[in-house]
Amino acid sequence: MDMGTLMFAGALGLMLIGTAALVLSGHLMRMVFGLALLESGASLLLVLTGYRSGASAPIILDGVVPASMVDPVPQALVLTAIVIALGVQALALGLVLRVHRAYGTFEMREIRRRMERDICDQAGLELPSSNEVPEPYPGSPKPQQGEY
Amino acid sequence: MNNLILLVVLPLITAFLLPVIDRFSTLAARWSGPLVLLITTFIGASAWLQLGTGAVSLELGGFRPPLGIVLYVDQLALLFAIAVSFGTLLLWPYGNRGGLRQQTLTLLLAGSGSGLALSGDLFNIYVFYELVAVVSYGLAVSLRTPAAFAAAIRYLIISGFGAALSLAGIALIYDATGTLNLAQLAQLAPEKLNDLQGLSAFVLLLIGIGVKAELFPVNTWVPEIYATAPKRVSALLAGLVSKLAVVVILRLLVLIFPQPEAHTLLLVLGILGVLTGELAAWRARDLPRVLAYSSIGQLGIVFIAFSVPGEAGVFAGLAMALHHLLIKPALFLLAERWDGSLAGLTGAAKASPLGAALFVLFSLSLLGIPPLPGFWAKLLVLTSLAQMGAALYYTGAVVIMLGMVLEANYLFRIIARMYQKAPSTGTPPGHGRLDLAISSMLGAGLIAAVFLLAPLADRLQGIAAQTVDVNQYIEAVNPVPTRNPI
Repeated sequence: MDMGTLMFAGALGLMLIGTAALVLSGHLMRMVFGLALLESGASLLLVLTGYRSGASAPIILDGVVPASMVDPVPQALVLTAIVIALGVQALALGLVLRVHRAYGTFEMREIRRRMERDICDQAGLELPSSNEVPEPYPGSPKPQQGEY
Repeated sequence: MNNLILLVVLPLITAFLLPVIDRFSTLAARWSGPLVLLITTFIGASAWLQLGTGAVSLELGGFRPPLGIVLYVDQLALLFAIAVSFGTLLLWPYGNRGGLRQQTLTLLLAGSGSGLALSGDLFNIYVFYELVAVVSYGLAVSLRTPAAFAAAIRYLIISGFGAALSLAGIALIYDATGTLNLAQLAQLAPEKLNDLQGLSAFVLLLIGIGVKAELFPVNTWVPEIYATAPKRVSALLAGLVSKLAVVVILRLLVLIFPQPEAHTLLLVLGILGVLTGELAAWRARDLPRVLAYSSIGQLGIVFIAFSVPGEAGVFAGLAMALHHLLIKPALFLLAERWDGSLAGLTGAAKASPLGAALFVLFSLSLLGIPPLPGFWAKLLVLTSLAQMGAALYYTGAVVIMLGMVLEANYLFRIIARMYQKAPSTGTPPGHGRLDLAISSMLGAGLIAAVFLLAPLADRLQGIAAQTVDVNQYIEAVNPVPTRNPI
């Protein structure tokens, strides 16, 4: 297996690990780290599209063009992508801190439960239950107890 | 025409200068935002008159495409760029609500949103898309409640997931074609992207950009954010940002991925969006979340329309999208003071007769009652679906009509409550003057559209015809293949 295939496999693997962390772990910090891995994988995939086996860096020194060089465009693009990803991760950590301060937990399930409760409290509603039915038309006969 | 770049640059620069201006004069800082948006709206409108039915591409910095970055200006792009400027002007945090931070973020949204509408380069679209995303996280936490922070981090994770997927999609496209300029991609796509790799790239980009467009599997953030953000922000996100994502998806679909599989995927996701959105809206028990879920349903209809290949589908989808762009912000503004449970709305019409009347008007149009524009938009979607004559498209039509039944049920349930006798425990509050004024303006626009229906429809059909004209796009940008030194 040559170097290129190996690195492509690595990029896809990073994306897979990141996605798995997002989907499987219910821990907010791990999800943010998963997001970072996913973004690194995508960036690596992008920069690899310009990869050529055995080529040199796309730098022209003293007017001498290297015989074979890698595509410089994805390298320029990936620089932007990395900076954006860094900014988003910093913002994510800030938000995680805020949420932890408010709810005192990193567990996504718990955070979601408390958020739902806050939203319902604010709207003056009971938390929804599984046998919830939409309220009847005003003026229509009330459903019998235990009908649903 | 060349000054159109100001639509992007002017709001961005002003946004970053606002804190500096604020140190010298608070008054100047407070009014410079609306002023800039007024200027950009004016620039956009004058370019619209100049443009006619043509299309121009602006080369930034004088670098030739495909390597140079271009802004592509046709009627579709310019229409949405103007909508961004005008929409943010309408939904501006007047009266210093939320202070400098809100103003800065709203200006950033205006600049990056215009960029998203006008950009003619896939990577540039990605960058502007991320900018819009980051700004919307900031706007979503304006109320700074714990629930808002929790909703925002959940939104950020879904949106970041989508962004990473679209970056991977971009990588796949660059790998196959060696370019990211949309015009050159349109040239190369039939030959180089008409395979499994192209299709995977489309799926990745669709899911990625679909996060903002409230596409079916990646829209779990919608009810949480719209319930915890101020309704002005919900109006911006549901009205403007989702439509910008829709425009990007439409561009990609028309220019790069005209394969039948792509259309089928869009159709299936649209159907699922309508079903889940309308059913959830039917079950929801507070007004903000009813509106949020119904927004998912409406955007589902837009995607169903776009899945019809050719001009008819684009025409119908754009009509739906513009209709939703007009009425959803107005409905959210009306929900600003009505954000409690639906039961709490009993007798609301007494406290705010004009607000309730406007709510009825927008609900009827949302539902699609004949003289109102919403009816014609839905009719266009249904006829274009019927003309396709395939089982899946008929399913789409049936699901849309089923959605209308649900919509009728939950909207009339709310309206019936509003016009009931007020309980002795006190009526729900009336509306703020500004919210009411803006909703009335949008309502007047809706009624005006009833009378101007024929010319508006003609113009929109022209826009749809131009949007599907791939050759015009390629000719306007005219990418010169670069000598490949490698």
